[in-house]
Amino acid sequence: MIPLEVRGVDVYYGNTRIIKNINFNSTGGEFIGIVGPNGSGKTTLLKTIGRLLKPRVGTVIIDQQEILSMKHKEFAKQVAAVPQDTQIEFEFKAIDIVLMGRNPHLGRLQMERPEDERIAKEAMKMTGCLHLMNRPIGELSGGERQRVIIARALAQEPRILLLDEPTSHLDINYQIETMDLLKSLSEKGLIVIAAIHDLNLAAQYCDRLIMLNSGEAIAIGKPEEVLSEERIREVFGCEVIVRHHPVTNACYITPLPKRRTQPRRRAKKVHIICGGGSGASIMHELHDAGFHVSAGVLNLLDTDYEVAEKLGIEVITEAPFSPVSEESHQANLRAIERTDAVIIAPVAFGFGNLKNLDVCEVALDLGKQVFIMKDVLEPENDYTGGEAKKRIERLLEMSAAVVEGIDDLKKALEALHRCSDKRL
Amino acid sequence: MKRFGDGIQSEKMLKWFFTLLILLILLIVSIFITVGMGAVAIPSECILSMVLEKGREAIASGSLDPFFHDLTPDEKIFFHIRLPRVIFGALVGMALAVAGGVMQGVFKNPMADPFILGISTGAAVGAIIGMTVLTSIGLYMRPLMAFLGAILTIFVVYNLARVGGKVAIDTLLLAGIAFGYFLYSVEWLLLIVFTDSPHEILSWLIGYLGNASWMDVEYTTAPVLLGVFLIFLFARDLNAMLLGDETAHYIGIGVESVRKILLALASLITAITVAFGGIIGFVGLIMPHMTRLIVGPDHRILLPASALFGAIFVIWTDTLARTVLAPAEVPVGVITPLFGAPLFIYLLVTRRRG
Repeated sequence: MIPLEVRGVDVYYGNTRIIKNINFNSTGGEFIGIVGPNGSGKTTLLKTIGRLLKPRVGTVIIDQQEILSMKHKEFAKQVAAVPQDTQIEFEFKAIDIVLMGRNPHLGRLQMERPEDERIAKEAMKMTGCLHLMNRPIGELSGGERQRVIIARALAQEPRILLLDEPTSHLDINYQIETMDLLKSLSEKGLIVIAAIHDLNLAAQYCDRLIMLNSGEAIAIGKPEEVLSEERIREVFGCEVIVRHHPVTNACYITPLPKRRTQPRRRAKKVHIICGGGSGASIMHELHDAGFHVSAGVLNLLDTDYEVAEKLGIEVITEAPFSPVSEESHQANLRAIERTDAVIIAPVAFGFGNLKNLDVCEVALDLGKQVFIMKDVLEPENDYTGGEAKKRIERLLEMSAAVVEGIDDLKKALEALHRCSDKRL
Repeated sequence: MKRFGDGIQSEKMLKWFFTLLILLILLIVSIFITVGMGAVAIPSECILSMVLEKGREAIASGSLDPFFHDLTPDEKIFFHIRLPRVIFGALVGMALAVAGGVMQGVFKNPMADPFILGISTGAAVGAIIGMTVLTSIGLYMRPLMAFLGAILTIFVVYNLARVGGKVAIDTLLLAGIAFGYFLYSVEWLLLIVFTDSPHEILSWLIGYLGNASWMDVEYTTAPVLLGVFLIFLFARDLNAMLLGDETAHYIGIGVESVRKILLALASLITAITVAFGGIIGFVGLIMPHMTRLIVGPDHRILLPASALFGAIFVIWTDTLARTVLAPAEVPVGVITPLFGAPLFIYLLVTRRRG
């Protein structure tokens, strides 16, 4: 038996079709995220499952029963929801609000039984708002109110919980708390379906994602399957980098700013020695600050390689997972010759990329400035048994400078500008 | 130490029970005091002996005859003028307060009231048609036509204010007031065309309880009590609707049909009071508002407490109406707006600033 089936649903507002041919099932106990841009039909889909909107075509079936044929209270025992707007003007206490969730289980003239009170309090405990029990709802903060509203929904003891942007008005700590809570509820057997704006939150917490674009489900599946760079570009019209965690394969998304700063004419040229993500932010910042940035040698598929590609900067590359070959080393040397300064990012050095330190010596010989990020000196970055350390010490003797962080680095580079300008 | 898990609800119910008990005692005391007051004052010890004596006779003879025959002037005033007037006033107050409470809940706004929304005037137009054009069909045409008038009015006003499934409260109030004025003109035209002496009817129309008889009590008691009881059944639904239609839907309430049922019931009890007591405005605005300040927003206590407060309020304002310029009488419908209109203006100003 399938607890929830959404079968070929089309929903219209007037003559405008808002969602089109949506199909999915849930066998229970999962956290489904609905993602997509504004106006893609996320709320409409939730409202259709929640019986607030009638599909023109298709049906929603819960436990083999069409939802439109269910009685109001029967439906409310199956499906609870947390609407987007949770403002409540009237002076109810938090516990009164949560007790209202017992409505589907009570007869018209029945008062709440001790059992109902117990369930309501349990729901408040679960969402961490039991201490707010006797506070008027109007006095609570957004995050506190949200927890009371979720407790109200849980007091219904539903099988399916619908949430429309449950984190959109919350501070980051409440966002994480809310998502943790929803995740644990789904692990206890609840079907949680939430429209979620933040792709990273969705990717991190949801078991499955439904990606909507103009009302169509263009992808349904695990977050790492649904969230590809191409799909996000197509749906949201923006550039992002999607990275996958090497162990869990969970993905996270970094947006790239649309505004691409063009290097200034006669901009200083800097070359960055990096890898494994160590140079990403340096490349970004310096690129945005208008420097002419290059990087190398980087292996293809390396995170820093991807960043460099996205920024459209020059990279000297090597085949994936291979040591720096003589050929790419020479290319790197040619790049060094053209730059004004070399920066060593806090990358781990092994025998494979030791040649990247050799080019720095050449740079110093050629009279170029070399900046070493402070963290490079950390011993755990040395996988060569002291070989890298020796070379770095030699660089330091030869007048390479250590910088604390990116801001320091920028200042030092600006100073470099001024000197060379004077020289001109 | 109380066990975790029970307490709050039973404590709340106990509190509600005592609130209602106190109000009920206040109502009975109010009835007892006010029946003696008026152009002819009857001391309370006389009332007690009259009731005891006539009651004993009635039990002895096994009929109600002793209340109708061989009465002293005081007994006549007490049994056939004051008592029905006070009881009828209590019923009217109860009905109007509950109708107002329902409308404030349904529209989620403390400024809603059957008079402001034009329903009372709609009922009056219906009642006048029942009393003039259709009088030959029977006396029950009066409340029936009043109900029809009230229902049609709320239908028109509600639909005027509803834009895309949402009710704009400002439009609702303005539509109610404007449509009320339209009906007011219709009311006068009907009076001029169909009656020889509009002024006789006018004293009823303006909310004068001085002509109330046992017959009025008889006609109003059953529908008002039934209507009020049916409304109480929806108290929890009204609570949920305060959280918004969407939330109410998700906790198992058929919002659209509940709203229609409640507006129909509120129109019914309003119409009954108008058909026999005329238009007594603002009771439905003042009473739920004051009661909410005392007992909170939960309709399970708000509605019954408003009902009792409403009864007490109308009894006392009607007493004020017949004593303040004694021996001349002021219709109670002239007194209530003196309290209600300033409250309405106060709500208008504070809500706009809020």
